[in-house]
Formats: sequence, C-alpha cells, structure tokens
Amino acid sequence: MNALIALGTIAVVVLGTILFAVASVRRIRMSPHEYIIGGRGFGAVFLWVLLAGEIYTSFTFLGAAGWTYSFGAPAFYILAYGTFGYVLGYFLLPWIWSYAKERGLLTAPDFFAARYGSKTLATIVAVVQFAAVIPYVTLQLSAIEIFLKIAGYGTVNAEFGAVLSFIAIIAFVFATGLRGTAWASIVKDALVIGALLFVGVAIPLHFFGSPAVMFDQVLRAHPNHVVLGALTAPKGSIWFVTTVLLTGIGFFMGPHSIAAVYSAKDAGVLRRNAMFLPLYQLVLLLVFFAGFSALLIAPGLHGPAADQSFLTIVVRYYPAWIVGFVVATGTLCALVPSTALLLATASIVSKNIVSDLFDRAHDDRARLLVTRVMVVAIGLLALGLWIAYKTTLVSLLLLYYNGVTQFTPAFVFGALSRRTPAWGIIAGIVAGIAVALALALTNTAPFGCNPGFVGLIANVAIVGVATLLSKANEPAAIATGSTLDPVP
Amino acid sequence: MSTKPTSFRYVLAAIPMLALSLAVPFVNRVEPRVLGLPFLLAWIAFWVLVTPLFVWGIGRIERRW
Repeated sequence: MNALIALGTIAVVVLGTILFAVASVRRIRMSPHEYIIGGRGFGAVFLWVLLAGEIYTSFTFLGAAGWTYSFGAPAFYILAYGTFGYVLGYFLLPWIWSYAKERGLLTAPDFFAARYGSKTLATIVAVVQFAAVIPYVTLQLSAIEIFLKIAGYGTVNAEFGAVLSFIAIIAFVFATGLRGTAWASIVKDALVIGALLFVGVAIPLHFFGSPAVMFDQVLRAHPNHVVLGALTAPKGSIWFVTTVLLTGIGFFMGPHSIAAVYSAKDAGVLRRNAMFLPLYQLVLLLVFFAGFSALLIAPGLHGPAADQSFLTIVVRYYPAWIVGFVVATGTLCALVPSTALLLATASIVSKNIVSDLFDRAHDDRARLLVTRVMVVAIGLLALGLWIAYKTTLVSLLLLYYNGVTQFTPAFVFGALSRRTPAWGIIAGIVAGIAVALALALTNTAPFGCNPGFVGLIANVAIVGVATLLSKANEPAAIATGSTLDPVP
Repeated sequence: MSTKPTSFRYVLAAIPMLALSLAVPFVNRVEPRVLGLPFLLAWIAFWVLVTPLFVWGIGRIERRW
C-alpha cells in the first residue's frame, strides 16, 4: 500500500511535468535554433529557471547530503563553488554570448571552431564533451534507481523503473527541445524548494528543536566533522581550496550550460542571472542540515547507503505521501538536467560531427532530424553504459569537472588575447586532461591538491607559453567560413 | 573610492571569490558559532548571501543597471 501511494505520487508528478511542458511548447515552430538554444530568446526569469533547473541536479539531493553524512565539512565546497562560478560568469558569459550571437553559433564546439579557426580543435572538444556527459547522465540514472528503490519500499524492481522513466525522458527531449526543458524546470524548481524546506527545516525541528541544537549534538558526537582536516590531508584545506577553484572555474563549461548561455535574449539577462543565482545556492544549507540530521538519527551507514541516509529517515518516520513527494522531486532533479545534457550532446554530434566533419545534414530540416535521432541514440547509449557500469555519486561528478574545466582557458584567452593559436589550446586541453586523469587514477594528490586543478595549471601554462610564442593577430583565429550558421 | 572605477570592479569581484576559496583555511574553525552554525559554515553561507551585493556593485560601476 505504501509503495503504491509513493510510486503513484512519483508517476503523477513526472507525467504531469512532462505534459505541462509539452503543452507549453506545442505552438512553437521547430528549427535547429529553436530546438537546441530556444531561438536565442530567453528572458532573465525564464533563463534563471532553466539554469536553476539544470545546475541543481539529483546530486544536490543525494551527493551533498551523502558527503555531509560521511565526511562533513568537505561537502561545504558545493555551497562555495557555484557562487565563485557566478562571479566569474558575470564577466565571461556576456562576452561568450555576444561572440556566439554575432556568428550564429549553435554549440560549444562551434565557439572553438569560430574563435580559433580549427576544425580539429572543435572535434576534440566535441569528443571530450561527449565523453564527459555520459558519466554525468549515468550519475542521474543511479539517482533515479535509488529514489525508486526507496519509494517502492523494497517491493519493485527499481532498475526497471529507472530505465522506464529515462525512456520517457528521451521521448520528451525528442518532442520539445530546450524550451521544454525550461518549462519542466519551473515545476522542478518549485518542488525542490518545497522538498528542501521539509527535509532541511522540518526534520531538524522535529528531532532536535532547532538547527543550533542539532549542531551541538553533532559536535558532541563527532567533534571534527564540521571543520576541514589538516592542510594537505585528503579532503583537507588545500583540497577544499583547489576544488572550489577547479569546479568554480569550470562551472559554466558543460555543453548544456553553454547552450543555456546561448539561449539568452541579450547579455544583460546573463548579468542579472549571475547576480541572483547565488541566492538559490542557499538552499544547499538545508541539504547540509538534512545530512547532519541523518548522521545523528541513523548513524553507521557507509558508501551508497550514506547517500540515501536522509531518505531513509523520511521513509522510517513519515507517511507514504510525503515519501512520494520528496522522491518525486528527486526524480525530477535527475530527469530535467538529463534532458539538457542529452540535448546538448545530441546537438554537438549533429552539428560538429555529422555536419562539420562528415559534411552531411546542412539544411534546417535535416539537422533537426539528425539532432533528434541523436537524442535517442545517445540516450540509449547512456542507458546501456549505466546498466553495465555503476559507481558512487560524487566521484563521477569530479570526473566530469576534470574534463570540462579544461575548456575554460580557451574562453578566457579567447576573450583577452587575439594571439592564442589553436595548437596551444589543443595542447593545453590534452595535457590538462592527461595530468588530471593520471593523478586521479593513481590516487596521487600533490600537496593535497585536487587532480583536476593540477591539470588546469598545466593547461594554463601551456596556453600561456603558446600565446607568447605565436605571432600577433593570426588571421586564422578570426576567419571561420563554413562552420557558421545563419542568424535566424 | 580611491582606485579608478574600471579596476575597482575587479576588486569587488575578487573579494567574494577569495573569501570562498583562498580564505577558507584561515576560517576553518568551529568557534565562534553564528546562529548556531559552526564558524566555517557560517562564513561560507555569509559570503554566498552577500555576493549578489558585490555583483550589483560591479554592475553599477559598469552602468549596467
């Protein structure tokens, strides 16, 4: 009975969100520009909803609470890095937007093709983004499985449920495009605030009387849990600083974030969002409260069980309709960002690989069709890889940032210098990713630094040297030709 | 405002960015508690809360709003 109520709530919320979004976009005439970047017409509020919708994923729910439970203070980096990224974004995003608008750019690799005049570079970026997005999507799938397992009270096959809901979301992206994601985000963002007020405020009040008393008890039971370890310790202070720098610098570098930047109506929309989005970050405080509460109420969990700790409390102490509501919100937090990721990756394959590299599907109808087919293909590929390969949540996200952050120097040097050559950017990206992965895979952390950060240093050094070595104003850096789309 | 406006906006940007990154090892402590929060968490939450004011100030200097 409980499983029926909880799963029923989830089904109603997810299907309701999909229908709401489909109904909202049904009168829109589709073209690749409309489908991929919303016709570059999103205003400040609509973009705010979309960005909040795709930035705050199921990771916000599970990973942050899980880390708070298992490690304590290192989880606070999640609150800090987004805010760091927004301040940087205030300066960088309007420039990227104007550059993309003037040249009719459609995808993130288009920027590299246009700015550095190199198809090789654009192809490398396309491949790296493709490889980085797949773990990000599998992360969301793992989250859905966890949610459904909890809502099913152990009576249903959660993996099957995750596959089913993901197939629904593939069909949704096929039909609606970026504007559909933005409409679905409206429902998702509203539910997130409601659910977090419950788990982050109601639970601490119910069990401890106030967050202050909760922290008193955390300090008594785990005195070192709310501060960072020694300077160079694993997840110590240096790790914290370098992780905030790495993930803050890479904050808008995901292909779906660049697509959201392109979708803005004007540059002012992006500046306003950089100003107001930090306030949304504050909901993460409630996630930390939920994680600390769980540590006190249900101690002794490890690994994936720690990620689910606060949900375990909801299941144990609250009625099924509340479980359904909280879990439905979490499921939307996995599905809505997945739509943006699928769409961005599919558009990169259709534009930068099929059109630019293999010289096919140039007219609008063909490109729209190829993009939609790719949504299905990439969705199914991610689904297959997920079934074969699962791991814990946060480590996958750091893998994602290790990859995409390496693109930031290309945007910064692209904005500040006309001399940076394409080969320098290529060498920087390749070296940055190689260093980051080598350190991460061998579990080496020089001075406690985040491996991706060391990679980024190597990357910036190489791009800097290449810029100094190259002759001023290489015309190839600006000439672009066939990679451009007409502005609609 | 003693610095000229064009570079002062970078100072305004640098303050919250440094507070949330390089400053963290120096505020890595439990006491004093602020509204019940351990000091480290209160520090980070405070800077997240006031960052919009800094960004607003940068926009004013650039005459964006």
